[in-house]
Amino acid sequence: MMKALSAFALTGAFLLSMSPSQAADPLTDPQIAHAAYTADNLDIDYAKIALEKTKNAEVRQFAELMIKDHTAANEAALALVKKLGVTPQDNPFSQTLAKNGEAKKAELRGLSGAAFDRAYAQNEHAYHDVVVITVVEQWIPTIQNAEFKKFMTDANEIFKVHLAHAKHMVDSIK
Amino acid sequence: MIASRLAALTVVIGLASLGVGSAAVRAKTVEVTIEHFAFTPANVEVAAGDTIVFVNNDIVPHTATATDNSWTTGEIAHGASARVTLPQKAGADFFCKLHPVMKGHLTIAPPK
Repeated sequence: MMKALSAFALTGAFLLSMSPSQAADPLTDPQIAHAAYTADNLDIDYAKIALEKTKNAEVRQFAELMIKDHTAANEAALALVKKLGVTPQDNPFSQTLAKNGEAKKAELRGLSGAAFDRAYAQNEHAYHDVVVITVVEQWIPTIQNAEFKKFMTDANEIFKVHLAHAKHMVDSIK
Repeated sequence: MIASRLAALTVVIGLASLGVGSAAVRAKTVEVTIEHFAFTPANVEVAAGDTIVFVNNDIVPHTATATDNSWTTGEIAHGASARVTLPQKAGADFFCKLHPVMKGHLTIAPPK
């Protein structure tokens, strides 16, 4: 968990405020479900800001895709937790995500033009990079429910495709 | 029962001998699965008039769209499927318009 959280900090997208003891505890399945849902919603929010601000066709297309894919992922996740009878549980990881996500949204709202496009693209690249690392190294190994583990494994394929797409976007709008 | 089946068979044979419905007899339906951000099979052997059913098993929506835009499924939601009957001049290469990294190819048999 510490490695993933450090990666979040290194990207500049997240400033962490969790204590070591909090960070050392692996998340439970309901906590991971909550954190994943929070992360999805954050990326949807970033995309909505992009659609308000950008005039770049590639950035717009990417933002539209983020809304579409993360909304679909959230709907599938909600259907699964309902089927499993699990209630997503708020936790320090989700709270840190949300808190630092608000800071990133404020930063993005303060930018415009090419500076916004670059910042949005770089954040999407860094964000998905850290999400993939977190899901692979921290969440999937600790998830207890087999069906939920498969769901997160499938969801991570989405994030990997988004990561490659974001990398392409960063390179093309330098 | 047997008499009615024989009568139906006679009609079918009669129509076939006249060439009526011969295209429909030849046309086939092929299923392509979309899973893990890939089309399976990625190389589909078809002929004009055949129908391809794309089944999306991924969480997110996808399309199957000819690169020349001669045919498309439109968006296929998670767990849904879409049918495309190939036009006479169907483009052979296709991709997902939402996730262009996903690519497929049709090997289209020449008209007989």
